[in-house]
Amino acid sequence: MRATVDRITLEVVCEALVAVVREMRASIIRASYSSAIYELDDFSCALFDPQAQMVAQSEDHPGHVMPMPWSVKCAMEDFAGDIKPGDLILLNDAYRGGTHLNDVTLLYPVHDAGELTIFPSVRAHWADVGGMTPGSYSGLATSIFQEGLRIPPIKLYEDGRPNRAAHKLIEANMRLPDERTGDLEAMVGACRVAERRIRELFAKYGRDVVLVCIRENLDRSERRMRERIRALPDGVYVAEDYLEYYDEGRFDPVLMRLALTKRGDSIVADFAGSNPQVPGVVNSSLAVAGAGVFVALKSTLDPGGAVNSGVFRPIALKAPEASIVDVRPDAPAGAHGEVRKRAVSVMLGCLAQMVPDLVSGDLCGTSFPNSIGGRNRARDRSYVYVEVPAGGNGGFAEADGSSAYVNVDFGNIRSIHNAESIENEMPLLVERSALRTDTGGPGRRRGGLGMRRQVRLLDGEAVYSVLGDRAVIPPFGVGGAGSAGHLSVSIERGNSEHRFKTPGKVTGHRIRADDSVVMESAGGGGYGDPLEREPDLVRRDVIAGLVSLAQSRTAYGVVIGAGDAVDGAATARLRQELKAARVHLPVVVDERDPYEGIKGRHRTLRLSPASAQRIGAAEGDLIELLGRHPVPLRAWVKLDPAQQSSAPLDAFARQALGVDAGDSVELRRLDMPAAVRMPAQAAE
Amino acid sequence: MRLIGVDVGGTFTDGVLYDTGTAELRRAKASSTPGEPWRGVLAVIDQLGVDMGNVDRFVHGVTIGTNAILERKGAAVWLITTAGFRDVLEIARTNRSKLYDIKALKPAPLVPRERVIEVDERLFADGSVCRPLRKEDVETVAAVLGKAGADAVAVCLLHSYTDARHERIVADALDRALPGCFRSLSSDVLPEMREYERAATTVLNSYIGPLTRNYLGALEEQLAGRGYRRPVFIMNSAGGVETARRAARFPVHTVLSGPAGGVAAGLHLGAALGYRNLITYDMGGTSTDVCLIRDGIVPVTGEQFIAEQPNRTPQIEINSVGAGGGSLAWIDDGDILRVGPHSAGAHPGPACYGRGGTAPTVTDANVMLGRLSAGLRLAGSVALDGRLADAAVASLASRLPGLTPDEAAEGIVRIAVARMVTAIKEISIGRGHDPRDFVLVAYGGAGPMHAAAIAAELEIATVVVPPGPGNFSAFGALISDLRHDHVRTRLLRLAEARLDAIEAGFAAMEEAARKDLLDEGVAAERIVFRRGLGMRYLGQSWDLPVDLPAGLGSIAAIEELFHARHLERFGYRGRNPVEIVSFRLAAIGRVDQPAAVANGAAPAAAAPAHRPVRFDGRTVRASVHERERLMPGQRIAGPAIIEEMGAVTVVPPGWSCRQGSSGELLIERNRT
Repeated sequence: MRATVDRITLEVVCEALVAVVREMRASIIRASYSSAIYELDDFSCALFDPQAQMVAQSEDHPGHVMPMPWSVKCAMEDFAGDIKPGDLILLNDAYRGGTHLNDVTLLYPVHDAGELTIFPSVRAHWADVGGMTPGSYSGLATSIFQEGLRIPPIKLYEDGRPNRAAHKLIEANMRLPDERTGDLEAMVGACRVAERRIRELFAKYGRDVVLVCIRENLDRSERRMRERIRALPDGVYVAEDYLEYYDEGRFDPVLMRLALTKRGDSIVADFAGSNPQVPGVVNSSLAVAGAGVFVALKSTLDPGGAVNSGVFRPIALKAPEASIVDVRPDAPAGAHGEVRKRAVSVMLGCLAQMVPDLVSGDLCGTSFPNSIGGRNRARDRSYVYVEVPAGGNGGFAEADGSSAYVNVDFGNIRSIHNAESIENEMPLLVERSALRTDTGGPGRRRGGLGMRRQVRLLDGEAVYSVLGDRAVIPPFGVGGAGSAGHLSVSIERGNSEHRFKTPGKVTGHRIRADDSVVMESAGGGGYGDPLEREPDLVRRDVIAGLVSLAQSRTAYGVVIGAGDAVDGAATARLRQELKAARVHLPVVVDERDPYEGIKGRHRTLRLSPASAQRIGAAEGDLIELLGRHPVPLRAWVKLDPAQQSSAPLDAFARQALGVDAGDSVELRRLDMPAAVRMPAQAAE
Repeated sequence: MRLIGVDVGGTFTDGVLYDTGTAELRRAKASSTPGEPWRGVLAVIDQLGVDMGNVDRFVHGVTIGTNAILERKGAAVWLITTAGFRDVLEIARTNRSKLYDIKALKPAPLVPRERVIEVDERLFADGSVCRPLRKEDVETVAAVLGKAGADAVAVCLLHSYTDARHERIVADALDRALPGCFRSLSSDVLPEMREYERAATTVLNSYIGPLTRNYLGALEEQLAGRGYRRPVFIMNSAGGVETARRAARFPVHTVLSGPAGGVAAGLHLGAALGYRNLITYDMGGTSTDVCLIRDGIVPVTGEQFIAEQPNRTPQIEINSVGAGGGSLAWIDDGDILRVGPHSAGAHPGPACYGRGGTAPTVTDANVMLGRLSAGLRLAGSVALDGRLADAAVASLASRLPGLTPDEAAEGIVRIAVARMVTAIKEISIGRGHDPRDFVLVAYGGAGPMHAAAIAAELEIATVVVPPGPGNFSAFGALISDLRHDHVRTRLLRLAEARLDAIEAGFAAMEEAARKDLLDEGVAAERIVFRRGLGMRYLGQSWDLPVDLPAGLGSIAAIEELFHARHLERFGYRGRNPVEIVSFRLAAIGRVDQPAAVANGAAPAAAAPAHRPVRFDGRTVRASVHERERLMPGQRIAGPAIIEEMGAVTVVPPGWSCRQGSSGELLIERNRT
């Protein structure tokens, strides 16, 4: 028999479940020991049903909660029929619905009258889970064993009793074990609070009523998402982008490809053609790539609707096995955030073709985790500093992108601490926390700026690691807009500056007292042609110091004269010149495989030396092509004297750009850091 | 003793006079006077007809600062930061409170980047000097600000909560170079770690500083001119009162001054009637404030935001909606009828006020529906003109195809009610509370008119309308205790702490707090202290406040209190040593509480009048009553309208109403 519920009860119960999650969140923040959790909110809580459906969440990290149902499903499979009251399950397996190993998940099954009912779960970022570097972020890891302790679903408690062996193993394999124990206790505690509330709900409304409410809520969420999808034009849309990988120190970009098929009220996201997995951090699971797909879809089509498993139902995911989006043992998986963000980038590429008004320029495209680990002699304690300084967001039809503001797939997490909190806990001094002028992608609507965070070591020695992306290939603009500023890291020692040979990816670099780590996050891509930006907005950006005088001329064609006023006539002239100087080439069909690489695959474009010269590009330089579709395609120049003054493109490129033979494409050269050379050049 | 409470709303200024000797309660209401709010205050005092020389206490709820923040019309604040931190507000905490929206924007700070100045100085976390502050640098900054004619400055230097010396040096230079400039130091406003939140709160203080200081100064002067000889007291956001002198230094304490009075009064009435679970619903002319009181406890937090800016000072948890009786109805570009957030305010006011307003408001709709009587005098000078209300609603309806004016009027009211319902859901259902477990206390000029409709939507069984609902917030200000909350950060391992040292720590804080209260005119025997310790397990970041009983007992007992509280709150008992982080003291100056709040005049039974009133698309014959003439215990079946000065209570069909023992109206749905 099926209980029926009235409208008020449905809403009260569904909101009460979300309130349970909120209470769990408040509990974790106040009781945990990892500053990533209590200061940055890098954790998520959710409620699940026995079918591994997520039934409630709140202000939780999309990058956590989307993959969580996969973890729950794996745990359910492993312990099929063997989950008893008082069994608590712990896991962090990056291959099975986990994210990176730092994200440790606790499942807390709740039974009622002998049956498994809805139950709480927490996924939280532990400051360290072992591995080769403090903080466990290792940009140059080559296998997962270097990234920390991998925990498949295990019973941490059985029948209400802690499994001492499991606890001891965990403590023995992580830095700062007492903090890890504290985090674990906070997670268990939050779930206990949730259990109490769930039982109160059962007592008040009846378990059946609660379960009916959950089902109806999932169904209505699904219906709403399907309606939004139905409104999109049917078709197949393609896009490609890259993650930055170094093969034994040589830059070797890896390809992510997406074909998005929209038919009726459902969507298939197929990553066919994406790079095979590599012995570097830029691999993750389909749960993670799928989170990117979902976040992009939801954030453009339906901001505001509920988030639960009902909303996922219209979306199917496909990927080649053992690829960068479906990682298998023993490849590392630390850059889950980058894989997710790149999935957002290729989704923006496809969505821009369907609903150009709803998308934005590319996001800063990396989580940018930085860690400094050392020993605080004053407190006789080890410490691990972790910050993920936020970058820019893309501009969009109505407004400039926000600066130093976490991307939409990052939820409500804070990317930096207050300097005062850091300095009270660690021998570090935050010297500077500032926006980076000129890093917002120029556009009719400017991309947001990245930030510069500079931290000095005050005492002893420490090791620095970073795992970033978009340090070589910048975030793209949409609709003719420019790229944003790259991410960058360096070390200042006295008056000298140390830059890394593998930009964005560093493992265990030793620093000593008085060294200063400079972390600079990427900007966001622009939206629309920067030569169409209202000159007064450019002027205001210059006054506020967001855009330099130089960039106002070169990128926006705006001339600011005496008294900070726009020189209208000079601006009109300059804009005309800049427009005339743009380089266009006719498209010709060339179905030869354009991709090269060592283990990665990157698109090359054969250009005649004369064509290359027109855009100031040499062999191996990064360029972008702009066609009819709003999002550009990136490629690396391959000089070919046999080539005419044309752009030879394969079918995929033509489809992504929305061009055919005889159409023209615009070519632009993009800067790469000086340290980076393409494999072909490196081999020479 | 004669006590006066005055509350300034967007539309009306309300006052209450209470004589503790005779237990007499008088009420008054005047139109608010934006720009110079003290004029409305004086008008109310005139109506109360009392010699200010004989008044012992004047307590005031202010909204001048709040409005300035909401409308972004505060001062052009300059911010001075430590070198390297110019973007402390621009960068903020980088988090995105609106999830799953690619077009979400970071809130713009109240100080633009061009008005932030860095000074070269730096303290370490322990307060020692990393880079000294050079006098000449400070003088340069002061000169720049002087040249710019800055009238509000906020100073937030790193680690000033540990050592304020650099901020003080800046302050001295500013005070010399810019006399009259409103200047806040973060070490005064919020001496707590976390520079972003401290800077933002300090900026808020300066943002509303000049406005609030000038207003309170003018008011004090006017009251002194009328013979008032005691300190002027201001309701603060935490539900206590403080002197106007202090509020003028820390206007950020008054951000929720207005609504806090109503919540205090709601709690007082609830206690008298035996209700411990209340939702207070205060609907005035321009905005509505709701608060959820559970188990008789008013929720106080330091983590709210106003206009998306963090305010870390203690405040009652109140949810505000920009909709009230004066909210304008309009048609958006999708041909959808909307209500608020723009308001007709006090001038011109709703169309029916006859002051030149032509756009329909919620009040006009209620006049048209017959719920508000045309010809009724709302406050001294305002009489309602039914024809103007009809014309305003009709002109709107003419642009809504297929809708009669009556239907449009009902639509306006229903939309306003829906917004109130959403606001109440956020603080009840949204936090895990079932509104059906609560009593709705409705006040403010427009609250009792819509309360039953809201209760119907939320299935709340009982609505309480207090006596004098239009003056309820003013009444709350009058009965609120003086209260100062003090927090001292002091790290101390509990196992190493000695009971007498803890006792001495509190004693020192109490001595200073007692002196403050005595200076403010509180009699020694009325001073009460409440002690608490903020504690945590070693390694945790946040401390958990634990209230201490009167006698401290033993260290072991304190530790056990913490373990128990932690287990209850966070679900586990930790194994790490316990650490004291902060000493917390609430210093309270008790005031006399009116025992009962019955209306003054003795009732004489009267036969009700009747008039047609529209409900749910039908016009029905409703009885109309004067509230002053209701007999205790008298029952009235809906549809009915109960009128009094400053408010009208609507009892819809299917509901009935009873006059309770404390003069309150209890509205309940008929059992079917």
